[in-house]
Amino acid sequence: MSTELSPIWRARWRIRRGPLVPHRTPAAPADTFAKTKYRQTLIAYSFLAPFLAVFLLFWAWPIVQSMLFAFQNWRVSPPTFDPAFNWLRLTSDPLFHAALRNSLALLIIQVPLMMLLALLLAVSLNERNLRYPGFFRFAFFAPVVISEVSYSAIFRLLFNGDFGAINSVLGALGLPRTDWLNTPAGATTVVVAAVTWRWTGYNAIILLAGLQSIPRYLYEAARLDGISSFQQFRYITLPLLRPVIVFALTMSVFGSLQLFVEPHLITHSGPAGATETLGTYLYKQGFVHFNFGYAAAIGYVAALIALSPSLFKIRMLEKKA
Amino acid sequence: MLAPKRLARTPTLLLLLLAAALPSRAEVSDPASPNPEKVSGSITVWSWNIAAEALSNLVPAFNRRYPQVKVNVVNMGHGDVRDRALVVCAAGGRGLPDIVTIENQAAEQFWLQFPSCFMDLNRLGFASINARFPAFQKIGLSAGAKTYAMPWDAGPSAVFYRRDLFKIAGIDPQSIHTWDDFIAAGKRLKAATKGKVAMIQDDKGNDDALFRQLAVQNGCFYFSNDGESVTISQPGCVEALETIKKMWDAGIVSSAGWDQKIQSFKAGLTATEVYGGWYAGTISNNAPDQAGKWGVFRLPAFRPGGRRASNTGGSSLAISSKSQNAQAAYAFIFYALATREGQVSMLKHRGLVPALLSATDDPYVSAPQSYWGGQAIWAELLGTLKDVPTYRPTRYYYEAAGISVIALSNYIDGKYPSAAAALKVAADRIAASTGLPVAK
Repeated sequence: MSTELSPIWRARWRIRRGPLVPHRTPAAPADTFAKTKYRQTLIAYSFLAPFLAVFLLFWAWPIVQSMLFAFQNWRVSPPTFDPAFNWLRLTSDPLFHAALRNSLALLIIQVPLMMLLALLLAVSLNERNLRYPGFFRFAFFAPVVISEVSYSAIFRLLFNGDFGAINSVLGALGLPRTDWLNTPAGATTVVVAAVTWRWTGYNAIILLAGLQSIPRYLYEAARLDGISSFQQFRYITLPLLRPVIVFALTMSVFGSLQLFVEPHLITHSGPAGATETLGTYLYKQGFVHFNFGYAAAIGYVAALIALSPSLFKIRMLEKKA
Repeated sequence: MLAPKRLARTPTLLLLLLAAALPSRAEVSDPASPNPEKVSGSITVWSWNIAAEALSNLVPAFNRRYPQVKVNVVNMGHGDVRDRALVVCAAGGRGLPDIVTIENQAAEQFWLQFPSCFMDLNRLGFASINARFPAFQKIGLSAGAKTYAMPWDAGPSAVFYRRDLFKIAGIDPQSIHTWDDFIAAGKRLKAATKGKVAMIQDDKGNDDALFRQLAVQNGCFYFSNDGESVTISQPGCVEALETIKKMWDAGIVSSAGWDQKIQSFKAGLTATEVYGGWYAGTISNNAPDQAGKWGVFRLPAFRPGGRRASNTGGSSLAISSKSQNAQAAYAFIFYALATREGQVSMLKHRGLVPALLSATDDPYVSAPQSYWGGQAIWAELLGTLKDVPTYRPTRYYYEAAGISVIALSNYIDGKYPSAAAALKVAADRIAASTGLPVAK
């Protein structure tokens, strides 16, 4: 059954079992075989070379370089090697701790909220009775296509305390107005709302792909057995959707820990640092204060946090598979 | 018969010749200015928004003196200039334009981090005109014996106020001498407008511009003038923060960021804004319909007879050390910034407040401005330049500002027992972040 899950897992399975086309059996003597194999490897690498060059230059090198930065003191010019300098500061920097707290809080509030909404959306988009499914799928996916800068500007206007549409609506309904951008709770709510608005549809589409790879006959069999639709969801949909949910969840966790655009452009990390995230703090240290050493160290902390649960999750999945 | 085309060209040519001939005589009076015959080449300038527009507007007049120099002004976003210039400097400086606009607050970061990215202007003749600019505008522009940039505009602080709203509340701006007077007037304004109009706006939690202006006025800043210690917890700064807290407690402040301030004054929801002189243009450009309703008065003092001057913002021009036409670049920034003609042209065109001391004597500066109810606001603003205390942004300006904003906002929200306690926290954090000690 596991092979029916999704294209991703099918691909993984294939890699583990090796290529589907069998090797030609070598008829030639051993040394010729070795030569041919060497030549084949060479050809393979020459095909790979353009990619490898780009990979080394734009991916591997920055990683190595930033690792070096993290062990340098960038407060002097030129930077000096000082292995503990940035890492010690991380332990005692209240602004870093606040940024870390904010990032984790946003992660804990926003990601489950968004995944729940995305799941609901995906299930409704998968309904057979839904008219114009293509339109709805596009409509919910559309926020990802919109430029981040323009959507941020619009959110700033919508949530403006004095002149914003949100407060006008609240006022008209007789509800209390909130100074969204100038109170910590208000600003955090705006960031959560913005990120959720932008990414729920994207996740719903991923989940929808997962839903559609679940064979219909399972539901038919369940219906014949008189299983209620909630139980179908609980015992068929959820378990079979699990890998896709885990994938979407992992990507969302990565996204949350790198969260930058919304707090930077909508709330300006404020008020009083209430929406400072690891992403915005890293940016400030690196590109505003030009302290690349410290910025690199912050980046590695964020990467480690993002990586630890996903490594754990992947291992769990592998055990189940 | 002459072709119509040539007919049209003849007088233009004549005019050009005349124009070229006229200023060369005037030049004799300024021995420091570069010799037009020895200067040629093509130069590129990076600048932002209205600053770039003011510079572009100056090029024809410059070319009448220096016909052999071709100037290309690139108008980029404010943040783009800084970010791109920093990145290019980090990469060795090749690819920088001949001239870069630098915000004074961010200036030292460039010189200290990348000492060879920009040229020492003293080598091009700046030493002889150094005295034309106020001291507080020059402090961050040099490192050691080298001067890396020429001061351009300043941001002398003042209170921009709505005459009509003051009249409704029966407030005479001439009677506001101290911040206490200002707060009392604010309460009257609040009462007279049934709480609808704020006396002043503060970007609490996002920008500490109001605090910085009051602190500088009171002779205090984040850092000492030698740049060696953190001074934000010194008495002058504590008093500045206490004064802001008094305003908040009196209920005369509304919270607003940059955009919100503009929306507020357009909607008549605030009676004053306290900013540098460059804000005059922001007001007149955004609220042309409020012509005649605005006026300017000097910052209220901390105590009767006290200082009524401060500054926020200001920028300068620096020349890339890789420039192929450094002489031409210097001739351009000399004309734009070190001559009254250049500076006053940019003041007229885009409201950039000259950091050139002699600009105060220009007839345009003392002329009444119709938008401002016939007040000679430029004379008022420029007149304070000589009283502005020297303060040093240092290379850590943005780090300190980020920390200060949080401590200030938390204090106003009641999270610290006193202004001194709040600024002590800020000082310790700035010290930890920069490695500088807190001043005793």
